[in-house]
Amino acid sequence: MAGSKFVYVTFIRTTPEKLFDALRKPEFTSIWWCECWQDCDWKKGSSWKLMIPDGRVGDFGEVLEYDPPRRFAVTWQNEFKPEMKVEGASRATFELEQMGDTVKLTVTHEIDRENSRLIEGVSGGWPPLLASLKSLLETGDALEMTKKWPKGA
Amino acid sequence: MNESFVYVTYIRTTPENLWNALTHREFNKKFWFGMHQECDWKKGAPWKLVFSDGRVADAGEVLEIEPPKSLVLRWRNEFDPELNSEGYTQCRMTIEPEEGRVKLTVRHEGEKPGHKLIPKVSNGWAQVLSSLKSLLETGEALPRTEAAKG
Repeated sequence: MAGSKFVYVTFIRTTPEKLFDALRKPEFTSIWWCECWQDCDWKKGSSWKLMIPDGRVGDFGEVLEYDPPRRFAVTWQNEFKPEMKVEGASRATFELEQMGDTVKLTVTHEIDRENSRLIEGVSGGWPPLLASLKSLLETGDALEMTKKWPKGA
Repeated sequence: MNESFVYVTYIRTTPENLWNALTHREFNKKFWFGMHQECDWKKGAPWKLVFSDGRVADAGEVLEIEPPKSLVLRWRNEFDPELNSEGYTQCRMTIEPEEGRVKLTVRHEGEKPGHKLIPKVSNGWAQVLSSLKSLLETGEALPRTEAAKG
């Protein structure tokens, strides 16, 4: 089916358990994901929300898959940008493969419509965020530019 | 439109450090699966990517070079007859300084539509560039974890 898809692969010197936690738990995401946190109890079918630090809902959906520490997936509809919200739900999948001391992380973000603004947006957002996550796990310090929610956003 | 692969990463380093790591053979060997590039790093100069045992993996020439901002290589696979017969690709590396980090963009594109090398390079670039980032930020590259071409 025609659609829009973004796939990003990175390799991080960490364990699947640490990475699986860092991708989801507020004490980590608040450092590398611009102070955002995920409101979710992480069961299949549970509601999922990505919360912006000022209290607004950034994106929302539900948990499609949850298989710690290997894989999780959520439906993901934007809430706070009208031109993206109108596109409906995308799907974001996170796959973690242990390879010795390294974990291969594959993030796949896709939607069943062409030229999606949401996918265009996340295509620009995932590389700096995942680079910051990698820096946090490998050096103890996230990249400066993803530590805070951008002013005025 | 010709098939292309684009990979973007951000590294806590300077453009000069990143440029050195990309263009000096001793650095290459640490993060590039033991491989290194042989090149005089001038426009028009021949370019090779060489395995640790001396075999040539890929070859071509420097199309554009502007240290420490951008490098464009003409690039053809040399050890797989099918990929070799596909002809050349172009690989553009762009380095952009930002606050507290450097943005590295690698764009690898076939010179003909449907070039068969392009779908094959994606996992290699992700590993090589992840290893480069670890080397520059922690002093240690990542171990090779998947079989590289060759």
